[in-house]
Amino acid sequence: MRLIRHRSPPMKALLAASLALATSGVFAQTATEAELARRLDQLAAELANVKAQLTQLQQKQAQPAAAAPAAPSSTPVAAATPPVAAAPPAPPAYSGSLLGPGTVLTSYGELNYNRPTRANQNATADVRRFVLGYQHRFDEKTKVVTELEIEHAVSSADDPGEVEVEQAYVERQVTPVWALRAGLFLMPVGLLNENHEPTAFYGVERNFVETAIIPSTWREGGVQVIGNFDNGLMVQGGITTGFDLNKWDATSTEGRESPLASIHQELALARAHDLAVFGALNWRGVPGLLLGGSLFTGQATQAQTSEKSRVTLWDLHARWTPGRWDFSTVYSRGTISNTAALNAALVGNPTLIPASFDGFYVQGAYKLWSHEDYALSPFVRWEQFNTAKSFADLGPGLTPDAARAERVVTVGANFQVSQGIVLKADYQRFRENADLNRFNLGLGWSF
Amino acid sequence: MRVVLAASAIVAAASAAVPTRAFAVDYLSAEQAAKLMFPDADAFETRQVALDAAQLQQLDAQGTRGRSANWPVRVAKRGGATLGFVVTDGVIGKVELIDYAVGIGLDGNIKQVEILSYRESHGFEIRLPAWRKQFVGKGNASTLRIGDDIANISGATLSCTHVTDGLRRIVAVVALARRAGALA
Repeated sequence: MRLIRHRSPPMKALLAASLALATSGVFAQTATEAELARRLDQLAAELANVKAQLTQLQQKQAQPAAAAPAAPSSTPVAAATPPVAAAPPAPPAYSGSLLGPGTVLTSYGELNYNRPTRANQNATADVRRFVLGYQHRFDEKTKVVTELEIEHAVSSADDPGEVEVEQAYVERQVTPVWALRAGLFLMPVGLLNENHEPTAFYGVERNFVETAIIPSTWREGGVQVIGNFDNGLMVQGGITTGFDLNKWDATSTEGRESPLASIHQELALARAHDLAVFGALNWRGVPGLLLGGSLFTGQATQAQTSEKSRVTLWDLHARWTPGRWDFSTVYSRGTISNTAALNAALVGNPTLIPASFDGFYVQGAYKLWSHEDYALSPFVRWEQFNTAKSFADLGPGLTPDAARAERVVTVGANFQVSQGIVLKADYQRFRENADLNRFNLGLGWSF
Repeated sequence: MRVVLAASAIVAAASAAVPTRAFAVDYLSAEQAAKLMFPDADAFETRQVALDAAQLQQLDAQGTRGRSANWPVRVAKRGGATLGFVVTDGVIGKVELIDYAVGIGLDGNIKQVEILSYRESHGFEIRLPAWRKQFVGKGNASTLRIGDDIANISGATLSCTHVTDGLRRIVAVVALARRAGALA
C-alpha cells in the first residue's frame, strides 16, 4: 500500500497505460507512444545539458593551453588527457606500446545438423564442439594459452560427450626470430589442425583428409621451437609424446575410420617411453600464397611388447588466395612399421593395423557476395582418402585386402554473418559408400 | 559526470602503466618508422585531428567505421614544406594488439606501412615486406579490403583483416582532415 501511495506520476502513467493495454489495444499504443515521446524529450534535454557541461570543461582546459605557445610536438606523448580540438599543447599520439588486456577469454563452437539422404532416420543434431579458452600474459614475452573442449554437449557415463584439454602450453619469445613453446600443443600439420575454428574452414564438417588421416585436432605434449624469418619462412620443430599402438582395438571399426585417431593419447596419462620428433616448414613469402610441409615420426609400442613399431606421418599443403578466390590442397600419408608382427596376434579380427594410409584433397571457394561484414562464399571440395591403403604380408589367406579409397565431393557455402560467426550448408556425396551421402547445416563462432 | 571522471581515471592509469616495450616482438618505434618513411624530412610536427560527428558519419557512410574521433598525425616537413603524413595505430589481431604505422603521401595514397610490434602466435607474416607492399600506391580510390585488392595470409585472416581495416580508416581520416584544412 505504501508503494502505491508514493508512486510517482510517471509510474501512474505507466499503470494507466498497462490498464489501457488490457482494455483497448489502440488506446494503449497511443499512451505508450506518448510516454516514450516524453522520455525521449527528457533524454534530449539531459543530453543537451551534458553537452553544455562538456563544452565548458573543454573551454577551461583550452585556456591554459592557449596561454602557452602552441608549438607542435615532434615527439609522441602517451595519451594522458582527452585531446581537445582547439590548439592542443602536446597532442597525444598513439602510444604504440599499450599491452592490451593481460588475460583474454577465447571461445569457439560448432552446432551441426547432419541428414543422410538415403538413411534419414540417422539424422542428428549436435553441439559438436564447445570450447572455452584463455590466454594470459605473464610478462611482455611470456604467455600461457589454454583451450577446454566439450564434445557432444553432455559428458557423463551415460552420454556420448567428452571433456578434453585441447591446448595448454606456455610460450616464451626468446629473440625476435625464435620462440619456445612447452606443454600440450597442436601439431603443425596440414592446413586445418592449428587453425581448426569453424570460421576458418569451408563446410559444416572438417575435411576427411584432415580428420581420418591427420587426426585433427591432434595435439601432443612436449617442447617446440618456432622460428619466423624475414623471408616468410616459418620453422617449427620439437620433441613430443607419440602414439600408443597398444590402444589398437582390432575388434572395433575405429581404426578403420582413422588409424591415428584410434591410438592417439592426447596427454591423458600418456605412455611416454617412446618420444617422437616433428618438424614443419611453412613459407608465406608471397602475399596470398602458403606452401608447406611437415613430418612426424616416433616409436609407438611404448615398451609394452617386445616388438617395435614406428608411426610416421607427413604432409604437403598449399593455399592460394588471389582476390576473392581461395584454393587449397593437402596430401598426407602415414605409415606404421613392423605391422606383420603386431597383426600376427590379431588375425581373425575385423580391423588389423594398416601399413599405410593416405589422403588428398583440392578445394576451391569464391567470395560471391559481400556487404559490410556479410560474406557468402560457395565452395567445392574433392577428396580421396584411404585409411587402410596397404597391409603387411601375413601370408596367403591371412593378409587383409587393402581398403578401397573413398572419394567424397562436398558442395556448399559458408555465410559469414560477422567476422566471428558463420552459417554453413553443404551436400556431401560419397563414391564408395553412398549410404553416407548427406546434407549438413552448421552454425559456428570463434573469438 | 561520474562517467567522464571514470574515463579520465582509466586514461590516466593506462598512460601511467604504458611500458616502453611491448610483448613479443618490437620492430620499430613510431619515430623510427616516421623517419624510415620520410627520410628527407627535417622535422615531424604532430597535429591533433579531431573529427566531429558529421565527419564520423561521413566515414561510416564510406563503409569505414571511425572508431575514434581523435587522431594524432605526424606531418613530415622539409624546409617548412609538407612531404606527407604518418599515423601510428593499434588494432587487435585475434587476441593481441598489433601496432603499426602508415605513411601517406601528398597524393593521399599509402607510401609505406610498417609493423611496429606484433604479439600473436600466428600471423607474424603480416610484417613481411611482400604483404605490406600491397598497400603502396593505394588510397581513397582503392577498395583496401582483404579478398579484393589485398591478399590474405593463410592462418592469419583476422590479423590481415583488422590491419587492412585500420589502414583504410586512416587513409579516410587523413583525407577528411586535409579537406577540412586540419593538416595544412
